[in-house]
Amino acid sequence: MRFQWLSMAHTMRVPRVLAFIALASCLAACDDGGGDPNAQIGPHPTLPEPTQYLLPPLHIARIVGWQKGETPSVAQGLKIQALATGLEHPRSLYVLPNGDVLVVESKSPAVQPIRRPKDIVMGWVESLSTSGGSNQETNRITLLRDTHGDGVPDVRSVFLDHLNSPFGVALVGNDLYVANTDAIVRYPYNSGDTKISAPGTTLAPLPGGPIDHHWTKSLVANPDGSSLYVGVGSNSNITENGMEAEKNRAAILEVDRATGRWRVFASGLRNPNGLSFEPQSGALWAVINERDELGPDLVPDYLTSVKDGGFYGWPYSYYGQHVDPRVKPERPDLVAKAIVPDYALSSHVAPLGLAFYTADNLPDTYRGGAFVGEHGSWNRSTLNGYKVIFVPFKDGQPSGMAQDVVTGFLNSDNQARGRPVGLAVDKSGALLIADDVGNTVWRVTSAVR
Amino acid sequence: MADRQTLGSTARIARHPIHPMLVPFPIACFVGALATDIAYAMTAQMMWSDFSAWLLVAGLIMGILAAIAGLIDFLGNPEIRAQTPAWPHLLGNATVLVLSFFNALVHTRDAWASVVPTGLILSVIVVLILPVTGWLGWSMVYRHGVGVDP
Repeated sequence: MRFQWLSMAHTMRVPRVLAFIALASCLAACDDGGGDPNAQIGPHPTLPEPTQYLLPPLHIARIVGWQKGETPSVAQGLKIQALATGLEHPRSLYVLPNGDVLVVESKSPAVQPIRRPKDIVMGWVESLSTSGGSNQETNRITLLRDTHGDGVPDVRSVFLDHLNSPFGVALVGNDLYVANTDAIVRYPYNSGDTKISAPGTTLAPLPGGPIDHHWTKSLVANPDGSSLYVGVGSNSNITENGMEAEKNRAAILEVDRATGRWRVFASGLRNPNGLSFEPQSGALWAVINERDELGPDLVPDYLTSVKDGGFYGWPYSYYGQHVDPRVKPERPDLVAKAIVPDYALSSHVAPLGLAFYTADNLPDTYRGGAFVGEHGSWNRSTLNGYKVIFVPFKDGQPSGMAQDVVTGFLNSDNQARGRPVGLAVDKSGALLIADDVGNTVWRVTSAVR
Repeated sequence: MADRQTLGSTARIARHPIHPMLVPFPIACFVGALATDIAYAMTAQMMWSDFSAWLLVAGLIMGILAAIAGLIDFLGNPEIRAQTPAWPHLLGNATVLVLSFFNALVHTRDAWASVVPTGLILSVIVVLILPVTGWLGWSMVYRHGVGVDP
């Protein structure tokens, strides 16, 4: 703990007096920097006892950005280059059938209500960890077109503008759906369009403000196009904004595309993102950001299949029946039926992107598995995440240890050059990565082709 | 006992000592925080815990200001320092501020852990200390005449 606070003071340049207050007050509940994250990857993570802090571990990589010529590092057999730079907080990606790439540039909803003094401090901390605070144009979708297939887009246009903290995109036929933070909006799209000027039509409202804690609404259409699935994150870490604020949140909603009628498909998923259909089983999968402030190794974020009507624990419990002591009144009836998720990714990695790989550009070992974009930790003295990993799959289930695929988002001083968020696979089979701190879209291809 | 003429306050405005003007704020805030902590423990409604967090921060800010004015009087006049209740009054209220600082940190935890049990216990201890230190402070003014204009 001592080391971690000194290192925080160093990397974030927090006033020294704050660091001393932190040192003094950690006496009651000191921790180490956390164990080996690899012990928490896979179907059976080790779970330590929860800890309560006077000040939770707080370590965010200071932002330095990419210098000219710098790129992330890739695993053997791969190469990486920037598809587009100079974007404004790109958070997710969508590839249209003609190969055009949509880059969703988005920032958090403007003003979050301040309910207690902590909100002021946490707002300041978050402002240090993101590049989204600039006044540049954002909350728009930029289209990239690479006519020659050489990884260098020759068309770049503003596809849709003046959106409300958008994140998810899904195309069914000629209907393009954008998941703003407060609604799914439909736009007419014709193949080859580089800009949509028609006004959108709201298909279904989504839980948005005035409190809008987890605001990214991930979106996917089912294979026959009849329904849309949208991830709605919780409105708090662990119900500290009140239970009323959690209505229809921490859930995946199923929206009927024809009528806009919706229902809760699965719940207890604190912040579900990267909604995707697993290619072999056809099941819906997602990556989930689990709760903070219980310790450096609690609670592991996870990758899981999502069952119709399933309850995955939040807020009452985690990993099945591990009861969270912070939630009252208790609900033993719900804890009893909480489903243990499929595959832990280790604690605080903040997975926000998921892409199953079925193309054939990358080496064969990646076929059928899943890439996961890990935005990176704040609630842990030893940083975790800040990379893109690969989880091998067999028969529709993860099989074996996750591998690092794209790293180097942190430099050797643990400063953030970038942070990966959403993932997509382009028409040529390359892996695309949205980097919301480096303001870049990265493109990973096979080194040999 | 020292003469009233020699027990003058150093931190004062127009011959009114500042310290007694400020002390009601932390007292009211910390007593209020205990009340809202109890309300939270009984209802689990986060609104009450949020009230406690604001009351603790406000009480700390005003309490530190009161402590500064009190310390100036304490350090500025050896006759005040020599009064029997002076040291216990100072140490007791310093304890109140330290405990309330930790209590404010406890209240930054999320949901139930922000109050029960540690926050509630700290609030109770603070409110038990306050009448003692208050009594000592009032003794200095009403019995010994500290800061009273001759």
